Amino acid sequence: MSSTRLAAVFVALLALTSCRGGDGAAPAEGKGGIKVDAGVTSDACPSAVDKSKGCIYLGTISDLTEGPFKTLAVPITDAQKAFWKRVNDQGGIGGYEIDVTTYVKDNKYLPQIHNQVYQEIKGKILALTQTLGSPTTAAILPDLENTQMVSVPASWTSLWGHEEVVLESGTNYCIESMNSVDYAADKMGVKSVMAVHLAGDYGDDAAAGTKLAAEKRGLTFTNVTTQTGQDNQGGAIDAIVSGKPDLVILTTGPTDAAVIIGQTAARGFTGRFIGTSPTWNPGLLKSPAAPAIKALYMQSAPWKAWNTESVGHTAMRAALPSVTPNDGYTAGWVWAYPLKAALQKAADNKDLTRAGLLNAVRQLDSVDYEGMLPSGAGKQTGSPNDHVFRQSLIYKPDDAAPTGVSLVEEFFTGPTAKDFKFDKPCYQ
Amino acid sequence: MDEFVQSLVRGLGTGSIYSLLALGFVIIYKSTQVISFAQPAFMLAGAVLVSYLAPATGFFGAVALAAVVIAFLALGVERTVLRPMVGKPVFVVAIITIGVDVVVRVVTNAFIGLDVRQVGDPWGLNTVPLLGVDVQERYLVMFATTAVVTAALFAFFRYSRVGLAMRAVSYDQEVALAQGISVGSVFALSWALAGGLAALAGVFVATGAGVDQQLWIVALKALPAIILGGLESLGGAVIGGLAVGVIESLFGTYQGDVAPWLGPNFALVAPYALMLLVLLVRPYGLFGKREVERL
Repeated sequence: MSSTRLAAVFVALLALTSCRGGDGAAPAEGKGGIKVDAGVTSDACPSAVDKSKGCIYLGTISDLTEGPFKTLAVPITDAQKAFWKRVNDQGGIGGYEIDVTTYVKDNKYLPQIHNQVYQEIKGKILALTQTLGSPTTAAILPDLENTQMVSVPASWTSLWGHEEVVLESGTNYCIESMNSVDYAADKMGVKSVMAVHLAGDYGDDAAAGTKLAAEKRGLTFTNVTTQTGQDNQGGAIDAIVSGKPDLVILTTGPTDAAVIIGQTAARGFTGRFIGTSPTWNPGLLKSPAAPAIKALYMQSAPWKAWNTESVGHTAMRAALPSVTPNDGYTAGWVWAYPLKAALQKAADNKDLTRAGLLNAVRQLDSVDYEGMLPSGAGKQTGSPNDHVFRQSLIYKPDDAAPTGVSLVEEFFTGPTAKDFKFDKPCYQ
Repeated sequence: MDEFVQSLVRGLGTGSIYSLLALGFVIIYKSTQVISFAQPAFMLAGAVLVSYLAPATGFFGAVALAAVVIAFLALGVERTVLRPMVGKPVFVVAIITIGVDVVVRVVTNAFIGLDVRQVGDPWGLNTVPLLGVDVQERYLVMFATTAVVTAALFAFFRYSRVGLAMRAVSYDQEVALAQGISVGSVFALSWALAGGLAALAGVFVATGAGVDQQLWIVALKALPAIILGGLESLGGAVIGGLAVGVIESLFGTYQGDVAPWLGPNFALVAPYALMLLVLLVRPYGLFGKREVERL
């Protein structure tokens, strides 16, 4: 083939590809007169409960093998498989069942791999039931917006409140930390606060919320950035011991937190720590730092722990009968509710296309979390300032509790979060 | 003064961990001219193994058993994965060790489960008085253990026939082969020694807060240590490791007061800054062998 002819074929292929509109299939009429496009088939799901139903394919991109959040990612993914199986067992949505097992990809918590595997599956799925991590999801955000791909994050950064394709649940790190500072100011009388956090929007978001609350409450604020790794906490430990803050808001990994709490206590620090939810792991209660953790540490949370009595929690435990209790499961289960509500709304609107699903998201006034989050959570209508969820909880370490923590403070909104004007992500 | 002693002991303790890791790197390098990037995985595997064995055998039995098992694991890796690569460019072999690291870590991660695991050491965060200052027991144990292991290694290389063979191979493989030394056995033994040392280092890291899958990151601190000490020097590895630990600790304690303009977390950069300074003066590290090449 001559080079001219080869070039012509290439251009023709390019034109053909661009005519397809990227990854999207042309809208068509599916089961029950519902309009469908990418990721929705009239054929049954590979492991369908009812073979007469069509299939909605949802993708999962998570940290499943060697990345730093594997211990959170695996239970999140397993819980979501159980969640959607329950939906299918209950009859599915609009004549369709949901498949979340065919397109499960590992991102190793690396943005470039996240993007790569997303490109592999994006033409075959209607939405993402999980996109784990803030920097990783940020790597595909423009593409999510362009393709109107509704996505459920597995992270709590305040950026998501400003992205309409991202369907978040519960409050974000920023507001969670505001509430923690307000709680400590009111209940413990703290006068100074230090944010000890990892770099990146996980830690930066919490630190921004901590700073805003400290300013609002007239507390002295110090900011300390640290890195992940047990041997890398020396700087943070020295900063805490020398700074002697009354309160430290921690946004690190669990073993980082244990090193910081254990070593500062061993060096005479007697202030209090409140960690955001990813800092906790029940295994810390068996670590050498356990006495210090029990004495000094509390944990903030966006929703209630595994052993809570609610319809949703009970259904989750029933769907995951043989697992070791872990609040990664709780997170995965809670995060799936708004996507279920959006799919139901889209099916009711007779439009299960990408655009139809995004339109349904825009119409969500509330989400039924079956008691796992209070009413009002999950609202997507209005501005981010209108719909951002501002309540969080406080837990304390407890050997007797299944996930190592027991409730101290019910869902509450502190004065800082209540008055906070949420017009941009906190860390920007 | 109290603060200085505490900081110094902390630095010597963590520096001992870096030294154990650095020794493994150097032993493999001396034998095979390859930097093995599989050391982090063996470190993690050793700590995880102890967390499983300790309830049954007790902590000390578990450490001994884990060091032996990981030594055999490393030996097995060398025999099956790396032996066929003898004669290939060392760069290729080094890249293969990265693959070994990923595979061993992924398999080990599966055994960590969802919760942080504990090795069950007897020291916890207990302190003992030293020069009138309370210091953590575990740091003293780390330092003492590293001193004993280093002395044993030096004796092994100096006085045993196998150690002598390993030294001969490190000087010239072909000549060693001509003298009847099994170079292949030396390669395998060097990997086994490095694996055992990595397992011991992993256990010491885990004594503070436990074992999670991020534990392997600590092994990266051994890299400035071996560059600082010199790639071919066992003594350099030990001194390099201790120097990295002490510099890191002292900078962490005093830099905020003395030189706050260096910014937060400079302590983490300090070992690398020291390494660059040393390399400017001694390009082969403090105790490295000066290479003479015919151009």
